[in-house]
Amino acid sequence: MITEKSAMVSVTNLTKSFGTVVAVNDISFEVKPGEIFGLLGPNGAGKTTTVKQILGLLEQEQGEIKVFGLDPGKDDVEIKRNIGYVSEDPLIYKSMTPRMLFNFIASIRGMDESETTKKLQYYFESLEAVEYYDKLVATLSRGNKQKMQVIAALIHEPLLLIMDEPLTGLDAKSAKVVKEILELHKERGGSVIFSTHILEVAEEMCDRIAIMDKGKIIAMGTVEELSKMANKVGADLEDIFLKLTNQDESVNHIVKNLRNMINGNKRS
Amino acid sequence: MLSNKELYRISKRVYREGILHGQLQSAGSDQARFLEKIDKDKTQRSPDIILKIMSAIYIAGLVTIPIFALITIHSTLSSGIDPSWVTFVGSLSVSGFLVMQPAILLIFSFMFTWGIMSGGPYKWIHTLPLGRKDIERIGFFTFLRSINVQLISMSLVLPTGIVVSIVVVLGSEISVLSLILLIVSSLLLSIINLVFNLSLLVIISRKMAIIMEDQEVNSRKTNIIRVVSMILYMIIAMGVMYLIQIAIAKIPELYAMQSWTADTTNVVNIILSIIPFPFAGGYLLTIIAMDFTNVSGVLIGGSLLGLILFIFLTYFIYKKALSTLRNISSTELKKYSMEKKEVFVEDITIKTSGPTLAFLKRDFAIITREMSSIMIMIMPFMIPLYMLFIPIDAQVTIGPAGLTIVMIIMLFYVSMVSVMLVMGLTNIESGGSTITASLPISVRDQVKSKVPHFVVTIPLALIVAMLMRIGTSQFTQLISFALAFLPVIPIVCLASLFFKAFLFGKMKHKIVLEEIKLERKVVKHILVFVFTFGLMAAFIFVSAYGFLYLGIAEVVSAILLYITYNIMFPK
Repeated sequence: MITEKSAMVSVTNLTKSFGTVVAVNDISFEVKPGEIFGLLGPNGAGKTTTVKQILGLLEQEQGEIKVFGLDPGKDDVEIKRNIGYVSEDPLIYKSMTPRMLFNFIASIRGMDESETTKKLQYYFESLEAVEYYDKLVATLSRGNKQKMQVIAALIHEPLLLIMDEPLTGLDAKSAKVVKEILELHKERGGSVIFSTHILEVAEEMCDRIAIMDKGKIIAMGTVEELSKMANKVGADLEDIFLKLTNQDESVNHIVKNLRNMINGNKRS
Repeated sequence: MLSNKELYRISKRVYREGILHGQLQSAGSDQARFLEKIDKDKTQRSPDIILKIMSAIYIAGLVTIPIFALITIHSTLSSGIDPSWVTFVGSLSVSGFLVMQPAILLIFSFMFTWGIMSGGPYKWIHTLPLGRKDIERIGFFTFLRSINVQLISMSLVLPTGIVVSIVVVLGSEISVLSLILLIVSSLLLSIINLVFNLSLLVIISRKMAIIMEDQEVNSRKTNIIRVVSMILYMIIAMGVMYLIQIAIAKIPELYAMQSWTADTTNVVNIILSIIPFPFAGGYLLTIIAMDFTNVSGVLIGGSLLGLILFIFLTYFIYKKALSTLRNISSTELKKYSMEKKEVFVEDITIKTSGPTLAFLKRDFAIITREMSSIMIMIMPFMIPLYMLFIPIDAQVTIGPAGLTIVMIIMLFYVSMVSVMLVMGLTNIESGGSTITASLPISVRDQVKSKVPHFVVTIPLALIVAMLMRIGTSQFTQLISFALAFLPVIPIVCLASLFFKAFLFGKMKHKIVLEEIKLERKVVKHILVFVFTFGLMAAFIFVSAYGFLYLGIAEVVSAILLYITYNIMFPK
C-alpha cells in the first residue's frame, strides 16, 4: 500500500559492484513527499546505477531500497505505476511516432482515453510540440525527443519523478515550462529525484542535494549546508561542488596552463 | 593545385567517410547500435572489401557462360543445327553475361556508393583550403576507389577468358583473322561495357541517394529500398553459382532445341542485333566466333550498327555521369521541401488497447520500419528460395531418403531462423529502454505478444516453401512432412525465448525479456543456438519413428512449455 506521508524513497547502505568496480558504495538517503532532491556528481559517480536500482532495473546487492515502502526488486510493476522517468539519453522507440508511442504508453498504463487526450493536448501545446505528433521520433531533434520523454513521464501524474538531465536540449521557454511543472508537482506533494550537471539549475530547483563521487555520497544537505561543509559560505554551487569533489585545484591548474598557452601563442 | 597522387590519397578519407555514411543509412534507426558495434569491432568498418572481392569473383565466374557458348559453337554447327539458331543462342549467352555485369555491380556496390553519392562525405572537404577543380577530382577518385576491384575484373575477364579458351580449345578451328578480331572486339566491348556500367552505377546511385537523403530516416519508402536491395543481394549471392551450373548444363540443350523456323530466327536476330545494349555486343562476338559461317551481311551490318549505337549511348551516359560526379563533390544534396502538414491540438488524441495488443502494435510499427527487424522477419521467407535452389530432382536427392535429407536441412534452417526471430523480437525491447524502464510492464503480456509471430511467420514460410514444389512427385510427401512439423516451430521458438530470458534476464524475484545479465554474452548466445538446434534435432529424431510419435512429442512439449511459462512468468 502506497502511503504519501512516509518517505517516497528510502535508500539505506546501498552498495553495488560490477566485477571489481564498486559503482555505489554504502550510500543512504531519503526523499520526502513534496521535495525536489538533487543528485549531483561527475560522470561515473554512481548516479545512474542508483537510479536504475530505484527503478528495479538493476538487482540490489547490499543494502535496502524502499520506494513508497515497497521493494523495487519485487514490486517494480506496482512502483512503476506511480513513477515517471526521464533518462539522460532519450532511448524512446525511434520507429514510432509520438501518437503511436503515447497510445502504447496509455495502453500499458491502462489510462482513460478522454482524460489522457486532454492532458496530452495540454502538455503538447505547453511545450510547443503539437506539430511533431505524427512525425517519426527518429526525425525529431534532441530537444523535441526530450519533450516526448518529459511528457511520457508526466502524463499519468506520478507521485515520484526521476529525472536525469531533464532540461538537456530544451529551448529556454520549454525549460522554463518544465521547471514550472516540476514546481507544481512539488506543491501538490509529489517528489522529484533530479540529477543534473547544470549546477545553476540544481541550485535554483533542489530543496536538498546529495553530491556523489566515486560511488559515495560525500556531502548532503541544502545549498547553505553544503557551502558550510565546503567552507565557502556565500559561494555558488559550482564552487562548492568543485571544492567538495576536490576538483578545484585541478581546474585552477588547467585554467592557468590554458592562459599561458594562449598568451604564448598570441598573434603579433 | 595538388598532384593527382596527393588527391588520390585524400580520396581515401572521403571514401571511408562515404562507406560509413552508407552503412549508417542502411542501419536506419539502428544507427546508435551500429556505431556502438563498429566502435568495438574494427572489422565492421571495412565490409566493402569482402563485397568488392565477391562481386569480382561473381563477374569472373559468370564469364564461363558466354565462353562455354562460344567454344561449343563449332561443334554445334558441325552437327547440322541451323546457323541462325546457333547465332541466336550464342548471342543470348553473351548478352546475358553483359546484363549480369551491371546487375552484380549495382547490387554489390550500391550499399556503399549511395553514401558517396549523397554528397555528405564531401562536407568536411569543403572546409579545407582546396580548389573547386581539386575537389572535383577527389570526387572522381573516390568513386574509382569504390569499384577498383570490380573494375579490374570487368575489364579483363572477357578478353582473358576468350584468349585462354581460344588457345586451349578453338586454336585449330578458327581462322587467324577471326581469332584476332575476336580478341580485339572482346577487348573493345569490355571497355565500352565498363564505361557504360560505371556511368549507370553513378546515375542510379545518385538517384537512390536523393531518395534516401530526402526521406525520413525510418520512412517506409527508404526501408523498401533497403529491403529490395538486400533481397536482390541475397538472391544474387545465392543464385549466381547455381545459374552458372544450370547455364552450362542447358546451353547444349538450347542449341539443339530450335523453336522457330530459320526465317523467323533470322528476322529476330537482325532486330536484336541493332539493340545497342546488351545484344549488339553479343551478336558481334558470336558472329566472329562462328568465323562468319553462314552469317548474312545484314546481320553483320546490324550488329555493327548496334555497336556504334552502343558507343553513342555510352558516351551520352558517361557525360551525364561525369556531370553528376562533379555536382556531388562540389555541392551537397539539395534538401527538397516536403509538404508540411498542419497539426491542430484537436488532432492529438489517444486510442488505447489491451497490453498484449499494445505490444503487438508496437512490435509491428518497429518491425516495418527498422532495417534489422525487417531482415529478421524476411529471413523466414528466404526458405522458399532455399527450397527453389535445392536440386531435389537431381539424382543425389531422389527417393524417400533423399527427401528426408532435404527436409532435415530445411528444418535445421528453420531452427536457425527461429533463433534469429527470437533475438530480433527481444531486441525490440531494448530500443525504447527509457520508456519500458518506467512502465508497469507485465512480462507475461510481453511474452504473449510474441506468440503470433512464432505461430504465423515461420510456419507460413515453410508452407510457401513446400508450395514451390507443387505439381512435382515429391509434393505430397513434402507437404505432409511440413504440416506434421508446423506445431514444432512455435514450440521451439517459445522454448528458445524462455531459455534466452532465463540466461539473460533472470533476476532475484523475476525473469525479464530484456538482456540484463550481459556477462559471458557470447557464450549465452551460443547456448541459445545449441539449445534450439538440439530441440529441433530431438523432434526430427522422434519423427523418424512416425508421425504419431511426433504428435505425442508435440503435445507433451506444449504442456511442459505451458507449465514453464506459468512458473517463469507468473500472473
